[in-house]
Amino acid sequence: MTALMQIRDLHLRFPISRSIGDVVARRPGREVKALNGVSLDLIRGETLGVVGESGCGKSTLARCIVRLHTPSDGSIRFEGQDVFDGGYKADRSYNRRVQMMFQDPYSSLNPRMTTGQILAEALSVHNMRPEAQIPGRIAELLDLVRLPQDAQAKLPHEFSGGQRQRIAIARALAVEPEVLIADELVSALDVSVQAQVVNLLLDLQRELDLTILFVAHDLRLVRHVSNRVAVIYLGRIVEIGDSETLFSAPSHPYSQALLSAAPSLNPDDKGAVKRLEGELPSPLNMPSGCPFHVRCQHATDLCKTDTPALQSFEGRGEVACHHVEEINTHA
Amino acid sequence: MQDQEKLLEVTGLSTTFHKNGQDLPALRDVSFSVGRGEVLGLVGESGSGKSVTLRSIMGLARRYGQVSGQVRWKGSDLVAMPDRVLRHIQGREIAMIFQEPMTSLNPLLTVGLQLEETLRTHTDLSRAARRDRAVEMLDLVGIPSAAQRLKDYPHQFSGGMRQRVMIAIALAANPKLLLADEPTTALDVTIQAQILDLILRLAQDMDMGVVLVTHDLGVVAQTCDAVAVMYAGRIVEQGPVRDVLRAPQHPYTVGLMRSVPENLPPRTQLYSVPGVPPALDALPPGCAFAPRCTACVEACKLDRPPMTVITDQRQVACFNPMTKSQGNAA
Repeated sequence: MTALMQIRDLHLRFPISRSIGDVVARRPGREVKALNGVSLDLIRGETLGVVGESGCGKSTLARCIVRLHTPSDGSIRFEGQDVFDGGYKADRSYNRRVQMMFQDPYSSLNPRMTTGQILAEALSVHNMRPEAQIPGRIAELLDLVRLPQDAQAKLPHEFSGGQRQRIAIARALAVEPEVLIADELVSALDVSVQAQVVNLLLDLQRELDLTILFVAHDLRLVRHVSNRVAVIYLGRIVEIGDSETLFSAPSHPYSQALLSAAPSLNPDDKGAVKRLEGELPSPLNMPSGCPFHVRCQHATDLCKTDTPALQSFEGRGEVACHHVEEINTHA
Repeated sequence: MQDQEKLLEVTGLSTTFHKNGQDLPALRDVSFSVGRGEVLGLVGESGSGKSVTLRSIMGLARRYGQVSGQVRWKGSDLVAMPDRVLRHIQGREIAMIFQEPMTSLNPLLTVGLQLEETLRTHTDLSRAARRDRAVEMLDLVGIPSAAQRLKDYPHQFSGGMRQRVMIAIALAANPKLLLADEPTTALDVTIQAQILDLILRLAQDMDMGVVLVTHDLGVVAQTCDAVAVMYAGRIVEQGPVRDVLRAPQHPYTVGLMRSVPENLPPRTQLYSVPGVPPALDALPPGCAFAPRCTACVEACKLDRPPMTVITDQRQVACFNPMTKSQGNAA
């Protein structure tokens, strides 16, 4: 297993502009701490699922990876190269090799460009094909994502949500990437359409040997598509490990609460689940120590002062919790 | 629950919208009933008519389309009722919560004012009593330090808290029926669980009937007593949650349940119902689901299958229903 991408101690802080009042009162500028030391490896050919509540930094992480945000600290290495290094940054090949697909199928496609134009643009920006071969390649791409050939001349508004996400996938695949970053790719779709798009993604991954970072909040879906899963809480990974192991036996109290909150299809489970109290604290005002201690029923004084590091836990992957052993022996 | 008198009885409700001279039958012959303290789930894909059902009951759809059929509420028919009379029921006896907590509150008014506005319209309470009731309501839905938060504007609340405020406003006048249109779709699973718990608890405490529209079968399994599955403006199957989810009989319900990735080997192909739902202006003459159905027989293409009663509360509209063994036992 070689790590295709190594993310180390990634931090991202967004400063908030100080108001006149703040300046007069000499209050220091505040910042939103979106990512607080995320480290993970993306292994070639795998699907890594990323789950967490909204505002936890899932999408920010995805955007950092495709260089839409520049991290405040930390590094992302792709095949050993620092992707934010000046020289490498000037080289556009990284942009081609790592492609992002966005959540909203209605706003991520230019409404005035036909599908053919959208795909042709992607092909010509990266000089993927000589001019003459572009129409042929577009036809191939439409086949690949199972859209009819007459889709070429149509505008995005003529397609349904599921078809638009196929166009987005075709656009990403046009430049023959190695890594796909799927940020809530199917969240806006109905279950049966969701199933079609997910099936397509799984097929394409097999055919084209793609590495996928699958960001989503639908836990069942993440479990289904991922090899490994990372659970993020307030800009930190609290648990990462093999998907089946993590979903069948989550070790971190937050993963346990998050997974039990997903409504089961079995009516007999009614009322049997453990509810998580409270909401995600504001990233403007991070709790000290373990960020989860304010909502955690196992929290002790240690949790309030010391931030637990991500450590491997007896064959279950890595967990960031001071009390992981007690919690999991009691349960 | 059978012998209990039904709170709301919907019979043959149909709603047709008109566009460019064409009729768009958004709702066709929908019948169901809700008892006191009962939670009914309405499920289906986007465009299947779930929201239109709620809006037709509430009298919000008739401004844009033609509503026919009967909605029995306390001995009178809401469909035939003039707007002036209906206003006494809207918000007072029947309340509604909308999908987007971000856009359904007025951003320019404090939460307290919006709560009191409802109370002023629907109750005879004095100013001081209204304020007390507002605090009580916010407290009830689990908003910490309620008295202080009355002065806050919607943007000062998180999404989950805003949905709680919406619920507080909806319940302020002690309604007997709550129509909830995807109340948790925009929220995280952890917050969703809290909000659904809250709705369930309040329904029980206040002996209130609830119609919960959702597209998540998990939500149905965990909160509802009964469920009605909708497809292209019709109810195709309804019955007690346990029976319907355990042994779905309509091929569409079966397909819907199979496309949820649960109890499947990881990274295998998911089932998806072939084809797409029909457009409202091009509905097939027979069963609307026939072109996508794997169990389609000749009769399905010609006639619309009527709603047939199978066991006491189970109903299915299908000529060739699935037997128990074919269903996907969850």
